[in-house]
Amino acid sequence: MNSAVIAGTGCLCACGNSAETCFEGALTSSARFALPLGRVESAYAASYPVFLAADEIVNARPQDESLSLHYFLTAAGEAFFNAGVFPAELAAKKRVGVIVGTSVDASFHCFDLYKSRRIGKTSPASEQELAHYFASSTALAVSRRYGFNGPFQTVVTACASGTDAVGLARSWILSGLCDAVLCGGTDEINLIPYDGFIRLMIAAKERCRPFDKTRCGINIGEGAGALLLMNEETAREFSVRPKGYVLGYANACDAYHPTAPDPEAKGLIKAISFALKDAGLAPQELAFINAHGTASQANDAAEAAAFNTLLKGVPVWGSKGVTGHTLGAAGAVEAVLTICALNKKILPPTTGFSQPDDTIGFSPSTKTLPLAKKAALSDSLAFGGCNAAVILGAEDYYG
Amino acid sequence: MADFYINGFSALTGDAETDLFTPYFEARRLRRMESIAKNALLCSCRALEQAGADLHNPKDTGLSVAVGAGSLESTCKFMDTIIDDGDEFSSPTAFAGSVHNSTSLTLSIFLRLNGPCVTTGQFDFSFAGALLTAREFLKRKMCKESLVAVAEDVNPAAACMAPQHPSLFAPVLRGPKGPFMRAAAAFVISGEPTENTRFSVTNFHFSRTDAPAAPCSDFSSAAAPALETVRRLEQGCAFTLKDVFGGAEMTLEAIPYVN
Repeated sequence: MNSAVIAGTGCLCACGNSAETCFEGALTSSARFALPLGRVESAYAASYPVFLAADEIVNARPQDESLSLHYFLTAAGEAFFNAGVFPAELAAKKRVGVIVGTSVDASFHCFDLYKSRRIGKTSPASEQELAHYFASSTALAVSRRYGFNGPFQTVVTACASGTDAVGLARSWILSGLCDAVLCGGTDEINLIPYDGFIRLMIAAKERCRPFDKTRCGINIGEGAGALLLMNEETAREFSVRPKGYVLGYANACDAYHPTAPDPEAKGLIKAISFALKDAGLAPQELAFINAHGTASQANDAAEAAAFNTLLKGVPVWGSKGVTGHTLGAAGAVEAVLTICALNKKILPPTTGFSQPDDTIGFSPSTKTLPLAKKAALSDSLAFGGCNAAVILGAEDYYG
Repeated sequence: MADFYINGFSALTGDAETDLFTPYFEARRLRRMESIAKNALLCSCRALEQAGADLHNPKDTGLSVAVGAGSLESTCKFMDTIIDDGDEFSSPTAFAGSVHNSTSLTLSIFLRLNGPCVTTGQFDFSFAGALLTAREFLKRKMCKESLVAVAEDVNPAAACMAPQHPSLFAPVLRGPKGPFMRAAAAFVISGEPTENTRFSVTNFHFSRTDAPAAPCSDFSSAAAPALETVRRLEQGCAFTLKDVFGGAEMTLEAIPYVN
């Protein structure tokens, strides 16, 4: 078997506090979309809305955890529960790795401290605070929390981080580096990307409209997706009923532009082609594509170029109309939602889409659709021209 | 049986002077390039050259980049523009440059790399994570060679806090390691030996341990373990590098490769 078993999944974002409720949110187009007043101190906070996690999740953050770490641990707890596995038992018996994709938790979280020093405030920062700003690793913090003894990696390939984390975790399983890997992505609403995307003029004041003719930009979101992957032997030993499979993965650079994707999508085409080959699948065997679909002009056009070249006729779903763009978490959140769709055999509508764009060349899902096939593609495009693609299989993929 | 092979390596501390790029690129192409990317680029050129790669047409090369806190010049510039000029006048260019994988973008564009590319950001542990990823690229046959580039910048955020925390930052200020070090390193590795292979890595291991977390005074650096690895490789002898950080350990055993 050239795949890793998905033993359990967990998710939280603006459309739910669990994988199940997130998927329900996707089906019903319901999500917490609001101005980030009180969350972000920006002059734009009264005009650019975001997709927010529920207050009860935010308020439950322990003092010694960043919000991003708290989100990931919450989703990871659900993934273990979903798998029916106790982390301590797994840690005691197996070599367990951790891979987490993030952006904010790795760099962008020191603004308040930085500003206070810049404007001359002298109250000392705590050692814990300083260590968090200058020596933090989300993956190490997660690994420490559960007492795992395998390798750990915090992936910071911008918006492709979550997909890379899932793909690399499979790689660690297949190469025998680990028996199990807790992987995924996490990110929180933060001033730096919030202001940054607005200043780049790719953020929208309205709810985003992936692949729509009138699309006018992205909405930042927050949340986490967690997947517990195992090799077959470990899954059997822990009596895990597979929730799905990671079948293939690839990543390829555009080598094109700092913030814009290659309009010919050469890197994305290469990544998808390799991922399909890695999974041993032909394009027509895909049930659907969970697109990156940020609703920026350039992203959606580049993805369309790739899909029209390689995957013509495969149904496309964009989920950011209910999750927002959760940056380093996006690929992991979307991987969890993709597994939900495959297992429930229903493709949700693309919330926000209403008007077809001739230049895109296809319309994403506009209503719930039944699914018969058992595999799907989830792709991510990142600043810096990194394209990642992962192929996921349903729980009954192997019959 | 080797775990992987090292075909080229290079390191530097401080700043890469523009004239050092003369064999590789026109100086005008380097204008406005952030130091962290410039340093990583010079080391990468040297490592690839040593590995026998055609810099103008590198074939089938993956890119695994290790950074500490990322592109700090741009990150701090972006924060400065918010503080000094307000949100509405903050610099979009600085924001774009602040993204963690902006170094990998520079490397991929200048070296025409369009294979797999992942950036790892976990301070002391970044190099080990990036090396793992580069090895996975090879094992999964995503490329024939992997370029591992490591880059660490001076951390101006830490620098501006140091005067207020002299006791906390004193060990860093005294030593070469830490947030006040600008340094880079690069390695070209492959799963099979090539005519340019210099070392066989017979064992590479990275995992979390229950060793106590580093005290706050031991601020970390993504580049330090990579610089030490290059230092050992330059000696040309078999070596075992065992680096135990707060909470993790990396072991790298290498022997010179004889064609």
